[in-house]
Amino acid sequence: MLTEEKVHNALYSVIDPELGIDVVNLGLIYGIDIDDDSVTVTMTLTTPGCPLHESMSSAVYNAIRTLDPDKEVKINLVWDPPWTPERLTDQAKEMLGW
Amino acid sequence: MTSPINISSKIAPSFSMVSKYFIASVASFVVFCVLLLLNYYEIHGHHFQPKLLALTHILTLGWISMIIFGAMFQLVPVVLEVKLHNEKLGEVQFWLYCIGIIGMVYGFWTFSVGMHFTASAVMVTAAMFLFIYNIFRTMTNVTKWNITGLFLLTALVYLALTALSGLILGYNLGFPFLDRSHFDYLTLHAHIGFIGWVLMVIMGVGLKLIPMFGLSHNFSTVPAKTAFILVNIGLLGATIEWILTGAVWLLNVYIAILMLGIVSFIIQIISILKNRMKLTLDIGMKHSAVAFGYAVVATFVGGLLAWSNPGDEGIREQTVLVYGLIIMVGFFSMLIVGQMYKIVPFLVWFHTFSDRAGKEKVPLLKDLLNESLATVQFWILNAGILTMIAGTLLIQQTVQFIGIALITIAALLFAYNIGNVFYIRKLHANRRKST
Repeated sequence: MLTEEKVHNALYSVIDPELGIDVVNLGLIYGIDIDDDSVTVTMTLTTPGCPLHESMSSAVYNAIRTLDPDKEVKINLVWDPPWTPERLTDQAKEMLGW
Repeated sequence: MTSPINISSKIAPSFSMVSKYFIASVASFVVFCVLLLLNYYEIHGHHFQPKLLALTHILTLGWISMIIFGAMFQLVPVVLEVKLHNEKLGEVQFWLYCIGIIGMVYGFWTFSVGMHFTASAVMVTAAMFLFIYNIFRTMTNVTKWNITGLFLLTALVYLALTALSGLILGYNLGFPFLDRSHFDYLTLHAHIGFIGWVLMVIMGVGLKLIPMFGLSHNFSTVPAKTAFILVNIGLLGATIEWILTGAVWLLNVYIAILMLGIVSFIIQIISILKNRMKLTLDIGMKHSAVAFGYAVVATFVGGLLAWSNPGDEGIREQTVLVYGLIIMVGFFSMLIVGQMYKIVPFLVWFHTFSDRAGKEKVPLLKDLLNESLATVQFWILNAGILTMIAGTLLIQQTVQFIGIALITIAALLFAYNIGNVFYIRKLHANRRKST
């Protein structure tokens, strides 16, 4: 059975190819909602209109579909609240050289 | 099943269209360096010499503008979230532009500036106007404007002015009709191109890319907005004063405003870098940071040339050569090399691996580039630029030759490194076909 924890753990495999950090540690994931038929991930990107980061929503979609091909996957990309550096985990900061 | 909205894949132009601009521009940079190396003894005295004019146009048209065209085709749609108006027009522009450049460069090199030269200049100008039309039409569909868009839109106007002034100058070479000295207009043409076209693009694109690569947040964009206003007032004011041969003091005031505008943009870059979350500067960002250092030096030397008494004409001519070298190689080329180390791996990654991300392990952008080789190239390029500046100022041709040789080695290493990134795309495309 697909749980929020399983989805959350799967998202550690979605890496931003520019920064080399996963979307969870980057603080891009705002919420995971699972019901009988679907999984909805509410997420953001570090900056609007970024060519690379828009591939990230696609990668999140792929990661969850790989986990459970029968579930409908919805990506809810939001800009409010906007991403701020405070959302980075300590591990991410360390990887960025802090 | 609901697919995620992936704006990039819907609006990004094709890989082949953008990459041919990048490949042609890198080839132009190598050709420029090799020809400069073989003709190093020409780099002295007055800058208005056939081979120097040919070399300058290989660099400005073939390397600098060509790469800007490719980068803008790639970036304008994604940054302004709008589809490119007409990709086929971009293809037509490419071939028209390439043929035109070859004709123009041959005309300058042999100083045969008759009808075939004018026809080549017309082709280059026509290609530039196709680009302006294509990007302008793309921009008419923009619903969310930002400051980057404003810089790029303004740059298009200056590109038109640069192209038209170049065409007039080209025609005047073969069929003189201008009443003032050709050099007066050449200075104007060069500065509208350098500042209005290239610098305006650098400011607009830099404002988007540098915070993105450095993960910079919480910085004010007031210095960039100030730079936009001051650079435009300074450049337009100086241009009008130059054409009307008005009061010298007023021309100097406009030049000072222009320089303040450039300084304001440098302050913006420093602010972005100070507010970055990614502390370690990768090799692309190192090139970019150093390039802005050369921009400061170029601004200072430009002011010196504008305001100082000519005095010894020989020293002045050598300083003009150094000024051109710092702008075109130190600032523009260093920045382009750095940004290519960021953009080309992205382009290849996006078209090769993005659809597999999340399904399987895919490489990171830095895995696509040989960063150690790029670091060696970075130091060789800087050593080459500084050696060539010293050789030109001291009128020491052997030192100049060493400097140019180092720059050429750096250009070859850069081309090899970028070529390898493109090869990854080809390798994976072939593998996919075979499976």
